[in-house]
Order: sequence, then structure tokens, then C-alpha cells
Amino acid sequence: MLPLKIAARFLRTSPVQSGLIIAGIAVGIAVQVFVGSLITSLQASLIERTIGSSPHVSLRALKDGDPVTFSSAVARVVRGDSRVTAVVPERDISALFSKGTDKVPLSITGGDLADLNTIYRLRQRTVEGEPSLRPGEIMVGVDFARKYGVKRGDPANLVLGGNDVRTLTVSGIFDLGSAAANERTAFTGPELPRQALGYRPDQYSLVAVQVADPFTSTAVATAWRARLSGIKVTDWQVDNKDLLAALNSQSASSYMIQVFVLVAVALGIASTLAISAVQKTRQIGILKALGMADGSTAAIFLWQASILGVAGTALGVGLGLALIAGFTFGTASSPSAFPIVAQPVFVGISAAVGMLVALLSSIIPTRKTARLDPIEVIQNG
Amino acid sequence: MADALVLAEGLTKVYGTLEQTRALDDVSFEIGRGEIAAVIGRSGSGKSTLLNLLGLLDTATEGRLVLDGRATDGASSRDRASLRNELLGFVFQFHHLLPEFTVWENLLMPTAIAGKTVDAALRELAEETMVVLGLEGLGGKNANDLSGGQKQRVAIGRALMNRPPLVLADEPTGNLDTENTDAVYRLFRRINADWGTTFLIVTHDQEIASMTDRILEIRDGKLVADVRNPVGAPSVAAVAAGLTTSRSSSAARS
Ligand SMILES: Nc1ncnc2c1ncn2[C@@H]1O[C@H](COP(=O)(O)OP(=O)(O)OP(=O)(O)O)[C@@H](O)[C@H]1O
Ligand SMILES: [Mg+2]
Repeated sequence: MLPLKIAARFLRTSPVQSGLIIAGIAVGIAVQVFVGSLITSLQASLIERTIGSSPHVSLRALKDGDPVTFSSAVARVVRGDSRVTAVVPERDISALFSKGTDKVPLSITGGDLADLNTIYRLRQRTVEGEPSLRPGEIMVGVDFARKYGVKRGDPANLVLGGNDVRTLTVSGIFDLGSAAANERTAFTGPELPRQALGYRPDQYSLVAVQVADPFTSTAVATAWRARLSGIKVTDWQVDNKDLLAALNSQSASSYMIQVFVLVAVALGIASTLAISAVQKTRQIGILKALGMADGSTAAIFLWQASILGVAGTALGVGLGLALIAGFTFGTASSPSAFPIVAQPVFVGISAAVGMLVALLSSIIPTRKTARLDPIEVIQNG
Repeated sequence: MADALVLAEGLTKVYGTLEQTRALDDVSFEIGRGEIAAVIGRSGSGKSTLLNLLGLLDTATEGRLVLDGRATDGASSRDRASLRNELLGFVFQFHHLLPEFTVWENLLMPTAIAGKTVDAALRELAEETMVVLGLEGLGGKNANDLSGGQKQRVAIGRALMNRPPLVLADEPTGNLDTENTDAVYRLFRRINADWGTTFLIVTHDQEIASMTDRILEIRDGKLVADVRNPVGAPSVAAVAAGLTTSRSSSAARS
């Protein structure tokens, strides 16, 4: 324990130097924690926005506009896959909403509320009225409702093509989190679009599927393609190639930044510890002359590095979390805000790397110390 | 003397490779347990070199050194360190205190290295040593904030704290006034009497030298005189022949 005590004393008697090293490690680790969590959260938020409320895998007819038949055989393949979390057979139609002189195009998705809810989370996104899609009911988005003065319980006149005009009742108003979706999209039950499209009960525009891990969608789609003939299976990763490429290069550049920050931190600690070792040469020589073993004097610098590493890392993690909290608070009111969630894995990795870097940078002074011959110091005063 | 504490045989130290200095040349002697011996000689004669060899801080180019019955030749750096801690108290020519530590902590550093805890006995010893060395009340002071003489006295105290069988002192009283010099010498004598500690003291001070049991004189790296003072009546005259350097005038004394 004497080496620890001496290490602590050496650090305490040069508070500015110790403080600077700790601050250096702390800033490095804080940047790690913050940038790491920021990038991860940003990507999670982008992916959530892109596919959170849309299918990961879609089954369609081979020819555009044809219905896909969701037979029991197809259903067995899809529902029997353990990776699947939601299966939503949908019928999509276009309609014109007419009110006074306004004629507004609406894209209407028809299906069972329970099914639709698994992907679109209509229940939790209903901001006015009830989430309900009984026959004759329709749900519309908040931006649409505001723009055209539609309230719950209001009648909605829809031209479904030709002279097929229906009047539905607005049961609820939802907010999907995107202005475009809130203005263009509407939901209704499965029957009305079936009649309008002239489909059989097992025919749908598409079967939307979500899987537990969105990044397995390509594997899932490939497996199904082999088993489902006459059906076009698409997955979101193919449709969003550009986004994924962008996310990947973003990850790569963020790793680069983090590696450079770590290298800078390591160099900083290493050089300061090396200077400290040179400054303490006399003391080390005296301790050796008094009979302290080489290993114990080397341990002094290992302890110094450990103390600096622990203090700097702890401070850095705290600072990083504070930055995350500050950022989240500072951008809370902005519409494009996304939550930065501190990534425990990232915090753990950063802390471990901080400690490792501190210990690695003590190698040079430690070895130098072990080799020092006390006579060099004793003779030279 | 089979039970000699120090047994040196043909100790030789050559510095440098191109320009060689024979700082110590074939020096042989024995020092028995409980002796107080002085090493004298002109500046540059090789006194510190001898002490550094005896103190296991440096290794001899040639020769054999046995300390407390243990051969030290070829000992590993680790063994030499633990022998230093266990057998030796060293008062360096330059005091060599640790500036980051207090007087009290410096005093107890060798015992801390030995892994001893500060129990009542050790505390008492340290406190008494502080009083004898005139360091009362300075325990909590930073070692750097002392005068040169005070530092020297702390260094002397530090050399005694582990109760080593052999104390090697290189000009221990070089920075001290007569009063303090006398106090240090009396302390050495008392510790010698109480614990049987052996002292080897390099000094320029003829008075100190004359008060020891024995005087070894080094000239140009060679041991040229080894004189025993008559027991109980150390006299300057008896060793005057061996003294080539002295701070005070021997003529004035006699
Ligand atoms: N590291 C070294 N390298 C080369 N020569 C050295 C070294 N150390 C000492 N010497 C030489 O060895 C000789 C003896 O030196 P030493 O320090 O033992 O003298 P000393 O008797 O202690 O002198 P002083 O009374 O001034 O302290 C001197 O000539 C000195 O120049
Ligand atoms: Mg000397």
C-alpha cells in the first residue's frame, strides 16, 4: 500500500498537473460517451422514423395493382416464422375527400383495427375521439383535420372512383408523427376497400410484416421468396439502400472521430506521466536507496495512472451524461428533436478504454523507473 | 574476526571506460559489531565511493563484500534493496529527503518500506529521536520547508529509525553548528551503547573523528591508515599522524 500512498501524494503535491491530466481524460471520455450515444440514438431515431410505422417485409402480387392472395398456406409460412412480430393484411385505395368546393386526395388503408394497430399503433396515436374502425367509420390525421375543419363525429364524403360516393363518420383523429402522413393518410375497416376494389375475402393489396430485429428483414425476405411462389416479397433494407449507406458512413466517421480522440487522450496521459516520472527521478532514487524494491517503485506510477484513469473516467462519464441531458433539454422544444439515450454499452466501453489507455500510458515511466539505479541520484545530489 | 559486521576484501572501484579513474584501489578491512569508526581523507580521495559500495548502492569492480555474514556479490537488485532496508541506515552527503512528505513521514519512510506499522514503540522512538535531534514541533512541516541543518538532522533520524545494525553516514554533520554536531555525536554514542549499532562516519571534522573508536584514512583510493583510539580516552594527538584533512587546526588544540 506504500506505493499507492506515495502515488497519491505525488499527485496531490502537483495539483495543477494532476488536474490537467484528469481533465484531459474526462474531456476525452465525455466526448466518447456523448458522440457515441448521439450517433447511436440519432441512427435509432432515423430508423424508427423510417420503419417504425411501416412494414419491414411486404408481400405483394407479382404485377403492380393486382391483389395478393393471403391463403392459409401463405399465412402458415408468414405467421409460422418466429422472427415475425406483426402481420397486417391491408387493402389500400385512393379516394377524393370532398367538402364544399375542396376535393382532397386521401390514401386510405383498410384493415382490422387490431392488426393495423400492431404496426401503426393507432390506439396510442389517437389524439381526438376513439380508435375505432367499425363499418362506416374512418380515422383521419391531425393535419388533415385541422386544414379541412374536420372533427370527430363529422361526416366525411369520399369519392371512391367513378360515381361511387360514400359518406363515412370520423371516429377518431390520429397523429403519426409526420405532417405528410397526417395530411394524406386515413384508415378504415377492411370491407369498404374490398368492395371498392372488387377483391375476394382472401385478397389484399399487400401483407405488411414487421420482424423483431429490422435488420434481419433481408434474411427473412430471402427465406420466404423460396417458399412463396407467385408472390413478390420486398424488404425495407432494399427500399432504403441510400439511407442505410448514409447511416453506415456516419457510423464509420463517428468511429474515426472516437479513435482520434482516444489517441489524443492516450498521448496526453502518456506524455504527462512521462514528465512526472522524470520529475520524480530523484525521489524514486532515494526510495530505492532506502531499500524500496524496483517493483514497488514501478507500482507507484501504475497507481498514479490508475488513480488518474479512474478519476478522469468517472468525471468523463458524468460529464458525458450531463452533456446528453443538456442536449436533450436544450432541443426538447424543437420539432426535429430526437431523444439521446445514454448507451450503457457505449458508456461501459468508453470507461474501459479510458482505464486501459491510462494504464498503457504508464508503461514507459514504469519501465524507466524500474531500471533507475539509485546511485545515479545519490551521487548527484 | 569471524563475526565481523563488515568484511571488505580488495574492494576496487574503477569509474569510466576510456578515461579510467581508480576511485578505490584494493581496500581491505573488517569492522566489528558495535564499533564506531571514522573514515577520513581529502576531497576526492574515495570516501563516498567506499560508503556507496558498503551501502550496496554501487557495485565494486573487483573485490568481495560480506555484510552481517551475508555475501553481497552477485546479489539481485531486489535482494540488495531488501538488504539496504534491513541492514543499513544511510545518511547521505546530500540529505535526500522526499519533498512531497512531512518531516514525520520522511523519518518513518524506511520503516514504511519495511512494512512496519507505526505502533506505540515506534512512535515513541521516533518522537524521542525528534527531541534528541532538536526537531520538536517540526513533525508536521513539509520536509522542503526546513533549513539545511534541519534537513540533515531529519536524514540522520531517518537512518536510525529501522534500528539497522550498520549506519553509514557521509558527512552527517557537515551542515551543523558545534552544538548540533555534539548532539548528533552523543545520539550516535547512545544508540551505539543501547542497541549495539555499528557506525561508519565519513567526516572532515577532526573533532568527530577523534571521538570515534577507530579511524580509517583513505588517500587516492587506498586505505593508508587504520588507527584505533585508546579506549575511553580518544585523543587528537594519537590520530594526528593519520589526519591529512581537518577543519579546525590541530595545532591550536594541542
Ligand atoms: N560517477 C563517477 N564517474 C567518474 N568518476 C567518479 C564518479 N564518482 C566519483 N568519481 C571520482 O572518484 C574519486 C572519488 O570520489 P568520491 O566521491 O568517493 O570522493 P570523496 O572522498 O567522497 O570526496 P568529497 O570529500 O569531496 O565528498 C574522485 O576522483 C571522483 O572524481
Ligand atoms: Mg564524498
